Amino acid sequence: MKIVVIQRLEPVLTEELELSDDGRDIDREWIGFALNQFDDQALEQAVLLKESNGATVTAIAIEDEGSDKMLKNALARGADAAFQIPLDADDVESRSSRALAPLYAAAIRTLAPDLVLVGILSNSDLYGELAPYLGAHTGWPQISAVTEVRLAAGKATVRQEYAGGRAARFEVDTPVIIGLQTAMQPPRYVAGSKLRDLLKVQIPELEVDGAPSADMSHGTTLALPDQSAGAVMFDGDADDIATSIHNLLKEKGFVQ
Amino acid sequence: MQTMLLWLVTVGALAVFARRFWLRLAPLSRARAANRTDQPMERLTGALADIGLHRRLLRFTWSGVLHFMIFTSFLVLSTAILQAFGSGLFPGFSLAVIGGDTWIALLQDIFALLMLIGLAMAAWQRFVRKPARFVGSKTGDATLIYLLAGGIVLTMLLEFATAIVMSGAPHAWRPVSTVLSHLLIGTGMTAQSASTAHLVFFWLHILIILTFLIYIPGSKHRHMMLAAFNLYFRPLTPKGQLPPPPTKLAEADTGTVETYQDFTWKDLLDTLSCTECGRCQSVCPAYAAGAPLSPKSLIMDLRDGLLTHEGVIDGDAHLPIIGGAISQETLWSCTTCRACMEVCPVHIEHVPKIVQLRRTMVEDGALEPMLQTAMTNFQSQGNSFGKPAKQRARWTKDLSFKPKDARNEPVDILWFVGDFASFDTRAQELTRMVAELLHKAGVDFGILYDGERNSGNDVRRVGDEGLFELLAQQNIDTLAGCTFNRIMTTDPHSLNALKSEYPALGANYDVMHYAQLLLDLIKAGKLTPRTDAGLTVTYHDPCYLGRYNGGFDAPRDLMAALGHTLKEMPRNRENSFCCGAGGGRIWMDDVVFKERPSENRIKEALELGEITHFVVSCPKDVVMYTAAIQNLGVGDRLAVRDLAELVTLSVA
Amino acid sequence: MTILVLIEHYQGGVADGSLELLTLARTLGGPVTALVLAGSMADVATLAAGLDADTVLAVAAPAVARYASSVYLRSLNAAIAACDPELVLLSYSTAGIDLAAGASVATGREMVAYVTSLTRHGAGFAACSQVYGGKLLATSTLPAQGIAVVMPGAVKAGPRSTGDAPVQTLTVDLGPDGCIRHLETLVPESGGIDLTKAARIVCVGRALGNTDKLPMAEALAKLLGAEIAGSRPVIDAGWLPKPRQIGKSGTKVKPKLYLMAGVSGAPEHLEGMGESELIIALNSDPRAPIFGKAHYGAVCDMFEVMPTLIQKLS
Ligand SMILES: Cc1cc2nc3c(=O)[nH]c(=O)nc-3n(C[C@H](O)[C@H](O)[C@H](O)COP(=O)(O)OP(=O)(O)OC[C@H]3O[C@@H](n4cnc5c(N)ncnc54)[C@H](O)[C@@H]3O)c2cc1C
Ligand code: SF4
Ligand code: SF4
Repeated sequence: MKIVVIQRLEPVLTEELELSDDGRDIDREWIGFALNQFDDQALEQAVLLKESNGATVTAIAIEDEGSDKMLKNALARGADAAFQIPLDADDVESRSSRALAPLYAAAIRTLAPDLVLVGILSNSDLYGELAPYLGAHTGWPQISAVTEVRLAAGKATVRQEYAGGRAARFEVDTPVIIGLQTAMQPPRYVAGSKLRDLLKVQIPELEVDGAPSADMSHGTTLALPDQSAGAVMFDGDADDIATSIHNLLKEKGFVQ
Repeated sequence: MQTMLLWLVTVGALAVFARRFWLRLAPLSRARAANRTDQPMERLTGALADIGLHRRLLRFTWSGVLHFMIFTSFLVLSTAILQAFGSGLFPGFSLAVIGGDTWIALLQDIFALLMLIGLAMAAWQRFVRKPARFVGSKTGDATLIYLLAGGIVLTMLLEFATAIVMSGAPHAWRPVSTVLSHLLIGTGMTAQSASTAHLVFFWLHILIILTFLIYIPGSKHRHMMLAAFNLYFRPLTPKGQLPPPPTKLAEADTGTVETYQDFTWKDLLDTLSCTECGRCQSVCPAYAAGAPLSPKSLIMDLRDGLLTHEGVIDGDAHLPIIGGAISQETLWSCTTCRACMEVCPVHIEHVPKIVQLRRTMVEDGALEPMLQTAMTNFQSQGNSFGKPAKQRARWTKDLSFKPKDARNEPVDILWFVGDFASFDTRAQELTRMVAELLHKAGVDFGILYDGERNSGNDVRRVGDEGLFELLAQQNIDTLAGCTFNRIMTTDPHSLNALKSEYPALGANYDVMHYAQLLLDLIKAGKLTPRTDAGLTVTYHDPCYLGRYNGGFDAPRDLMAALGHTLKEMPRNRENSFCCGAGGGRIWMDDVVFKERPSENRIKEALELGEITHFVVSCPKDVVMYTAAIQNLGVGDRLAVRDLAELVTLSVA
Repeated sequence: MTILVLIEHYQGGVADGSLELLTLARTLGGPVTALVLAGSMADVATLAAGLDADTVLAVAAPAVARYASSVYLRSLNAAIAACDPELVLLSYSTAGIDLAAGASVATGREMVAYVTSLTRHGAGFAACSQVYGGKLLATSTLPAQGIAVVMPGAVKAGPRSTGDAPVQTLTVDLGPDGCIRHLETLVPESGGIDLTKAARIVCVGRALGNTDKLPMAEALAKLLGAEIAGSRPVIDAGWLPKPRQIGKSGTKVKPKLYLMAGVSGAPEHLEGMGESELIIALNSDPRAPIFGKAHYGAVCDMFEVMPTLIQKLS
């Protein structure tokens, strides 16, 4: 059983975001990047399957600032191999999931795994999420919003979640692409000693036969929601304030 | 005949004693190495001074005094033991030639009395005063020891007294025994019967001594033999420098602690030397807060676990140690405040053991969820807040000037800002105040901007040695590219790492706390405070400034220079009470604390009455105590003030 | 040219999100086709009853009796091919995630997701979306024949139609046995409190004082369909259980509505709720830090405002 798990870096959203001058992207200068939290779950699920079913886990990422560190982290966590997919930054107009999906799909075809695990969402999903795109590009079945994956005899059993906490269990043939929401156990902590031991390791590149596809980013502008500093204050006595709040709740559709 | 018999029992008892002792010491020979034999003179003088002056013991007056009485009496009375055995085993042996019948006899008599008084005080302490620190100690063991020791002294005195009755004349050098002999005569003892009694008491004396001897290796009174060694082998590295994990013996060696042999021999010696006095327990903030940690029980549990494992005592030997003898919760409860180590009379090293066991948990990934988030943040962003490194210096945005980037230009003082001071919104205000003060005083200083990483002080104490090394090395590399004279920080945790931990990695700096710098600036006239608006304040010594690095005076002198009146809390300086944030606790769920140490501390301050301000000198303390005051709802009575705020208000 | 809307359903009921899509399609103008997949034509008829659509396109087969991504995707692709819609609307649900991108590649259409508002724009549409965890708004132009995935609640569902739309059957090759086979449906266990799932939260701070006033806060929460929560001092005092603590050492939440009373807004608290979509704060102190974070606020005595608000809501 071969598992490929995709690892993506994402802007850390704990701070206020700022926009680039043309308003088409966020200002990446002041922002930090960290592993997408769902990809974190996907990695954990992959390692759990390795432990329970003896699979081999290969982590892949698109080459970018910090991607090698991220992949070393995946190795420290239990991945058996890791590759970076080279991408000439000048060639890409957009880094949306839609745009990059063909590259990942090409890598998947090269690695020919039985199972692909990727986080269900990312911040760059405006034009669709990665897992279903991978399904479309590879022609493999795809299932997203998955919270459990078990393996047995060439088949996977997965649990898919719906609104309101409902869920269903499916049996799927491999190869399959899974958009993972949560792993069956929270991501484990990897001791710094393992990271330190990997400090000198080189993450190899994986040349793939594919190019980013187009998306609609050229026709998209970003804006900060209108959030003038501080709260809009309601004045008056208790009754006035209650009325204002009531009206606000009505206006926002919380009450009739 | 008697001589033969005495030889027989003595040699027999010694053999049993030696075997019992060896059974307990043998595991040390199989444990990991520890280098504790360097600087023999320093070790010897320190140990002798500690023993002779009872420095640490006397911090607890009653117990200190009584121990001193028993201890000195024991030394003096060992001459009597020598006399008893010497004369019995080698007929004709006598100390009389050197004064055994004169001044030595007098001393023996006096100290016998002292010993009895000391024992009575000890019993009074244990059975009547019952300080909480004895909770968890073995009372039966202590009681037996009192009885045996009392028995030895009493039989000795009775032996002397019967001898006096036999001789028919008072002994000029044995006042106590003489008085006793009169009592015996009063009960109708004759010279004849005294001679039988003398023999009986002699044998009783001998037998109790030998019983005591056999008993000791299995008792906490082992410390009579081991304490001196434990003092001698005490760590001489800086207090703020944790011992590294053990060097791996083989490739497969994980360097973690699963079983007792994975500790160093000194760790095991520690457990065997513990006197169960509970001093450590009485000062431990985690214990006081109701957390499942008592440093005393920790040491006792490790000892009992070791002895069970060795088959010396009965019980189930649970391995691995974590989850067996010691629970995970116990290990995570420690704030690494070092109060226990500071007070332990035999210099037992609790914190290194706790951290070594934490390292084992970290290696297994067994971290509680909140701690894991913080630690993962360190790995990805270099700070616990999970904020991008690029935003570390954002606090400088609102300054009236732009601090120098020490990576680009030489500075006199390199300011290592630290995580809390950089990222916490409350602490940031104080950070800005310090910056403005330095600017105003014309100090040539700079910061590392996004080149700084968390110092790793608390990461190391959480037990992630690898991550500590990664963080420390990044800082050391960055600092290597800067030109500066001294490092200043407001954060005692960073201070400890830079000053005490980094030297072990080959990086040595001149590090100072901002209290010292501000004080120097005032003394040099660079800042002129007004001193007519003095407040009545109390001051909290941060563990990593005070206990760990001896920074007790600068903050106090600074407050005095500002005209404030300091009322000390009962627990101050070396005995300061930790706020509960150290050792990574600030990133853990504090439900283990039934009463948060910080709130306990605020209550202590409120007890002082009349004070209006609770002064701190650590960014974490600002956060911890502000929250504590909010939680207790006493904001109208007490306000937290950082030293930087006091100075700013005063020089404005 | 029609607007095609995928209808999701569960246990015989049409999902709210799908009804909202029909209303949105109506607002945009033009004929509306509802795509209904069910186990039999009878089931299709039940589901289609009252749908505000001009045509119902039905796929009836046991394989699509319950949702499964592979057969649904084949059906959706076939439906798009069959009616060549000017716009395909999907709800941002599990199905929406599963299907939109796949259909977009399979049918060669552009797509945009996380849509909160959609209007006609030239020959195509202008879409407004939430991105970066709701921290940014993206405005994009979706050409005609695009696919849009719309956030639930972006529009309010209109009334149900009185008449039934005509049903057209669509025959779809659902593949051999489907490579994704439904095994069982799992319903949530009720019981444990999980505030992370709550869409609305009423949070009280230390100003609550004691449990006497707790019923007041609970009544307000009930009227709003919200969960009750507290700051750390409230949990410390035992007024509310630990799972209801919001903040650094409690639960981190991101509800649509966070109404807070008597909470000062310490960073440790903000850490747990700062990303809530609508924050309304009541506090008696005009300088309380929470007013720097809340969207709306009022300087007031919470014990005066809460009862009045309760009155108005009930
Ligand atoms: C390591 C650490 C972890 C922490 N974790 C958390 C956490 O997870 N969650 C958390 O909440 N806190 C946490 N804290 C505590 C945090 O710092 C604050 O102490 C706490 O959030 C304050 O709670 P509060 O706002 O309810 O109380 P207070 O700060 O005392 O605020 C009460 C507010 O009520 C207002 N008020 C008073 N009377 C009225 C009235 N009649 N009407 C309206 N308003 C009124 C006051 O003006 C005041 O602003 C943590 C602290 C630390 C150090
Ligand atoms: S270091 Fe402090 S918290 Fe830890 S055991 Fe010692 S006294 Fe207790
Ligand atoms: S560890 Fe030290 S202070 Fe604690 S009980 Fe033992 S001897 Fe006493």
